Amino acid sequence: MLELNQVSRHFGGVRAVDELGMQVKQGEILGLIGPNGSGKSTTVNLIAGLYKPTTGSIRFKGEDLTNRATHERAALGIARTFQNIRLFGQLTVWQNLWAARVVREKGWGGFRERWLSGESAARAHAEELLSFCDLADKRDMLASNLAFGEQRRLELARAAASGAELLLLDEPAAGMNTEEIDDLDQRIRAMRDQGRTIMLIEHHMELVMGVCDRVVVLNFGRKIAEGSPAQVQSNLQVRAAYLGADDEQVA
Amino acid sequence: MDFYLGLAQMIGIHTLLGLSAWCVLHTGQVSLAQGGFFAIGAYAAGIMTAMFGWPLLLALPAAALISALVAVAVGFPALRVKGLMLVVATTAFAEIVRLVFFNLSWRVQTPDGMIGPDGSLGFGGIRYFQSNGWSAVQIVALIWILVALVMFALWQLDRSRIGTLWRAVGEDEVAAQSVGINLTAAKVSAFGIGGAIAGLAGAMFAHYTTHIEHSNFTILLATFAIAYPILGGLASLVGTPLAVIFIQGILIEGLRFLGDWRSLLFGALIVIVMLVRPRGFLSRALWPKRNQLRPPSIVEN
Repeated sequence: MLELNQVSRHFGGVRAVDELGMQVKQGEILGLIGPNGSGKSTTVNLIAGLYKPTTGSIRFKGEDLTNRATHERAALGIARTFQNIRLFGQLTVWQNLWAARVVREKGWGGFRERWLSGESAARAHAEELLSFCDLADKRDMLASNLAFGEQRRLELARAAASGAELLLLDEPAAGMNTEEIDDLDQRIRAMRDQGRTIMLIEHHMELVMGVCDRVVVLNFGRKIAEGSPAQVQSNLQVRAAYLGADDEQVA
Repeated sequence: MDFYLGLAQMIGIHTLLGLSAWCVLHTGQVSLAQGGFFAIGAYAAGIMTAMFGWPLLLALPAAALISALVAVAVGFPALRVKGLMLVVATTAFAEIVRLVFFNLSWRVQTPDGMIGPDGSLGFGGIRYFQSNGWSAVQIVALIWILVALVMFALWQLDRSRIGTLWRAVGEDEVAAQSVGINLTAAKVSAFGIGGAIAGLAGAMFAHYTTHIEHSNFTILLATFAIAYPILGGLASLVGTPLAVIFIQGILIEGLRFLGDWRSLLFGALIVIVMLVRPRGFLSRALWPKRNQLRPPSIVEN
């Protein structure tokens, strides 16, 4: 579904992502892990379009994304959440979902919605997502007034509202307690069962190893391992990257 | 009585100007170009009625359209920059407009003599109201009908898809583009609609004063334009006219008896208002909805 071909991104002399090649397959939950500074978030930003690759190309559903703007990629079906939550703070919970959903209505759709009919597919879809994130009773609350866990749920629902086929989750478990992580685990699976493909960037190993079908490990912007959670866990290079052994020892 | 009618006209025109800035501020952009669009509307409408004898009701939408087109043309390059750089870019634009009119000399023969912009001497004789026998009350009525129409249109727009997208862009541009909002389209449309409203305000201003010149359209005017919606609060449209009444009616006219002390108090009162209500007069919290008051629940289930 998504294909990265020898993608590099340099910041000055720093190679944040270095000739990375990887694939995300339709319907899977792919984990992207690696130590701090290994290029995970840069990879997400490259896929979402906030950064342009220095070299290499990215294809989504067979289409070259390289020259597509961020909003065009969203329209193609790539949505994301952010490491530091980015909601529309002064909009209500409902408006956050509605903004992401209604942008897909072309032409006069948004006006018809407002003036002619109370019920529409778009509205029903947004209502559905409102229940999905368990915030129906807080629909008129400002997003900035939500509790932390609720903000994470709303951001996830907003990404789904924008029509995501591929959902990029950038450290969704950061700052969560065990119970909240269990809840997140369920929601990620539910999102996949509804037909979405998920790429999970996460430090919380229990979550990654539990929920992912496949894991890609980055270190210094390069892919050092790829495989099932069990394979990756037993990989010596991965252990070295996380535990800090010398490269010579591993070799 | 004439004084109050004149004040009502002025407040109406400045309300339109403030509403034009409200549109642009909605998308999180600070533009000092509104005075420039106001000037373009003023000169365009004056040229149409005084020099070529167009009826005012045709000149008003035409002037608004011209200002909107200029705003869109300027918006595409200008809105690529953000924050302070946008302030600088729009200030530069407003100064360019002012200097163009400072140098514009184009006079034609009309039944009332030679009329037209005359460089630094300005553009006099825009006497459509006077030569068609409009009374001051009728002019006030026309201005406030326009204010009502613009406010109604913006109110509907704010509640429609476009308004939601504008607000989303104003809240967080990165998040907005990540959910599929085209930032350029959102910002340029807000700029264009704001430009049209500023042009309409300028067109009324030209006919209200009958004489316009470059010094009417300095950076001070643009500062007022953005001060109104900020003081009134972006959450509500009604805040803008309230802020205009507060500044033009109370601070500028109402405090005249204070003599030289007026300007001192003027600044102090604005500072006090912004301290008491940092999000403007009509920020959301003035009438919180019931469930917005409730603190986020700490204990789930």
